[in-house]
Amino acid sequence: MRVLLVEDEVRLAENLAAALRDGPGFAVDWAEDGLTGDDLAGNACYDLIILDLMLPKLDGLSLLRRLRARRDKTPVLILTAKDGSGSIIQLLNAGADDYLAKPFDLGELIARAKALIRRGKGAAHPTLSLLGLEVNTLEQSVRRQGVLVDLSPTEYRILEYLIHRPRVIVSKQELLEHLYDYNWEHHSNVIEVHVSNLRKKLDAALPEADPIVETMRGRGYRLAAGLPPGLSSSGPDPTPPPTAEPGL
Amino acid sequence: MNFRIQPRSIAFRLIVAVLAVELLSAILVVVLSFSYERHIHFRAFDIVLHGRADSVLGAVQDANDPADNVMLDQADLHLPPEDVYAVWDEHGRLLGRSSNWQDTNDWQGVAPGLPAHPWGDFSQSKVNGRRYRILRVQGSRTVDPGEHGGGKLHQVTILYGSPTSHVWHAIRGAVEFYAAGSLFLLLVTGPLIAWLLHRGLLPLRQLAALASQVSVDAWQFSPPENARSTPELAPLTQALETVLKRLERSFQQQRAFVSDAAHELKTAVAVQKSSLQLLNMKRRSPQEYQAGLERCLADSLRLEELVAAMLALARAESSTHAEGPAPSADLAECIQQAITQLETFAALRNVHLLVHLAEEPGSFHAIAKDSSIGTPVLRGHGGVPSGSRATESPGDDSALAAEGMQGMENPFPQGLKPGPSHPSAGGAAEAAPFQHNESEHPLEIPVPMAPEDCALLLSNLLLNALQHSPPESTVELCLSVEPQTAVLVIQDHGDGIAPEALPHVFDRFYRGDPSRTRNTGGTGLGLAIAKALVNKAGGSIHLASQPGPNLPSQGTTVTVRLPIAG
Repeated sequence: MRVLLVEDEVRLAENLAAALRDGPGFAVDWAEDGLTGDDLAGNACYDLIILDLMLPKLDGLSLLRRLRARRDKTPVLILTAKDGSGSIIQLLNAGADDYLAKPFDLGELIARAKALIRRGKGAAHPTLSLLGLEVNTLEQSVRRQGVLVDLSPTEYRILEYLIHRPRVIVSKQELLEHLYDYNWEHHSNVIEVHVSNLRKKLDAALPEADPIVETMRGRGYRLAAGLPPGLSSSGPDPTPPPTAEPGL
Repeated sequence: MNFRIQPRSIAFRLIVAVLAVELLSAILVVVLSFSYERHIHFRAFDIVLHGRADSVLGAVQDANDPADNVMLDQADLHLPPEDVYAVWDEHGRLLGRSSNWQDTNDWQGVAPGLPAHPWGDFSQSKVNGRRYRILRVQGSRTVDPGEHGGGKLHQVTILYGSPTSHVWHAIRGAVEFYAAGSLFLLLVTGPLIAWLLHRGLLPLRQLAALASQVSVDAWQFSPPENARSTPELAPLTQALETVLKRLERSFQQQRAFVSDAAHELKTAVAVQKSSLQLLNMKRRSPQEYQAGLERCLADSLRLEELVAAMLALARAESSTHAEGPAPSADLAECIQQAITQLETFAALRNVHLLVHLAEEPGSFHAIAKDSSIGTPVLRGHGGVPSGSRATESPGDDSALAAEGMQGMENPFPQGLKPGPSHPSAGGAAEAAPFQHNESEHPLEIPVPMAPEDCALLLSNLLLNALQHSPPESTVELCLSVEPQTAVLVIQDHGDGIAPEALPHVFDRFYRGDPSRTRNTGGTGLGLAIAKALVNKAGGSIHLASQPGPNLPSQGTTVTVRLPIAG
């Protein structure tokens, strides 16, 4: 998952970015002012935007309004040091999804960030299950038919992204955009290696089953393709992709 | 009339005063009317007495005796029964008297023959136990005027008295009428005045009611038009409006400050908290803990700095002066201290500090000891003579600065290069020039500030200039003395300040370019503190800026004017 952090306080931004990378393993992009934040958000590759209110050049509320005016549905978590319910109501009415008052608890911030990403993708529970495949987003552990599958952080992040969008073809470009921040050099073959390793590890846990990650040549990857939707136990609702991703 | 008048209220006092005046005038009217009525009535009474006495005189007739005497013929006299009279002839013979005047003692002293006033003499007497007013007149009667020799002339003396009781009765009646009228007026006008006063003081009451509605949460005060147009109330109304506006403004400022301060403090606390929590998120190596703890320490230092700056601002803005003698600090000495304090910082940022001190315009003191260093200096300052001397403050640790300087385009003559380690300086200036200067101490500029405030002002301004200076640039500090005023100019050659930001630079927590100042660790309070300190000392501070890339005049100039104490 990729998070945009718009915060002008350098030290706070550093801490938040480090925590989001270390904890849930998000890719974090950091914008120091409102205009940069607006520019970056325009790329529409974020799963969450964490927004400070008092920002130079463009304040958080205006950024939020611009975002929603563009029909950008990315969940937005506001960080505010302001008091009073009036501004909070204003924020929520302007399209914010959640807020945290400074000084906040880092653990709470991470939990809220995860919840917002989950909700944004239509899942309610932190444990996602699909066809005997169980992804616990809190422990970051994966089980297939009860057997623990040991994945590398990147493999886990790929699987976490894919399980949020079952039976949808996810392009390599989309995976890259959502798993790496802009400091990363985009090499699509890196993804191929990781997906290949992921598939091997998942299949090794249950050798006789069908491959769970399908490669659609030239188009991308798909999780649990060809299975009827009713078989997914408590997984997320199959939602069509919001935007047409550029094919490979 | 449904109004109530409080004791001790203005209306009450006015009513009491008016009624007292009315009562006094009523008493005066009674007294005056009494004397006037008495005068009038007694004059009329006297005339009546005269007339009756004349009647009595008319009753004196020829006695028809051989001696030609006169007699009093009382048969035709018709006088009020209570009146008394007696008539004597010139020989003192009683010719007649009224039957009700028996007491002869009353006649003593009015014996006939005594000269009498032509108009008669009046006297008061008691006859038969009643007060009488008695007239004594003399008249003449000629017996047989047609006879030879003109008849015989008789001088008669008449005493005529009449009781005064009915006169007094009339006077009392008149006075009573006046007194009753006054009392009636008093009773009628009392409530009328109260009502009129109540109406007349209506604007005042309205104003008071409006003023009492003003509170910390509701500042609206719109005085009624009649209060504004009433000459007595207009100054009060204006004063109230002015005071309220000022109060409201200062309350708003205070609120804004509290809100801003809360934001800054919460952010600073959030940084610290997140640093600690980040460190605690997972097991880390000792090196990582070490680095994390150092970051936490740096964060708390920043918080400390912020709190210190807030307290400094609060102290600088409090207008109450401490008891004791008026504060005084030597500006020149404070400059030296600030320079010493910031030398390292300037060297670290690779910014040169240039200081010009002038006792009065045109006569600069040599601060650099070595004249070969100090001769040809100064560009950019109009009015500074070319022969004046200046100095740069070399960094303690100027290896860094010297390294940077070698590559730069040097606006100064080589001989001016500061710092012991500069190659071309060649050790000409081995120590900080200021230390040399301390022994001479040519300048003493007392300004009305506490020394710590003065030091804070200078370090804030210099720090601000240094923070906004790119490496290899120069910050110039120029101190000159005008009559009664010390003028301190600090100029940097940084990016300058955008015109739209210029009006806000003295605002609290305002950051002209937030990303930059956040990075440099500014609290956003430095200039606000500087302004508060200068204002407290009765001086002025002005900031001019020339933004724009690579202009020679580019940069920011802060001008501080401080009154010279003593």
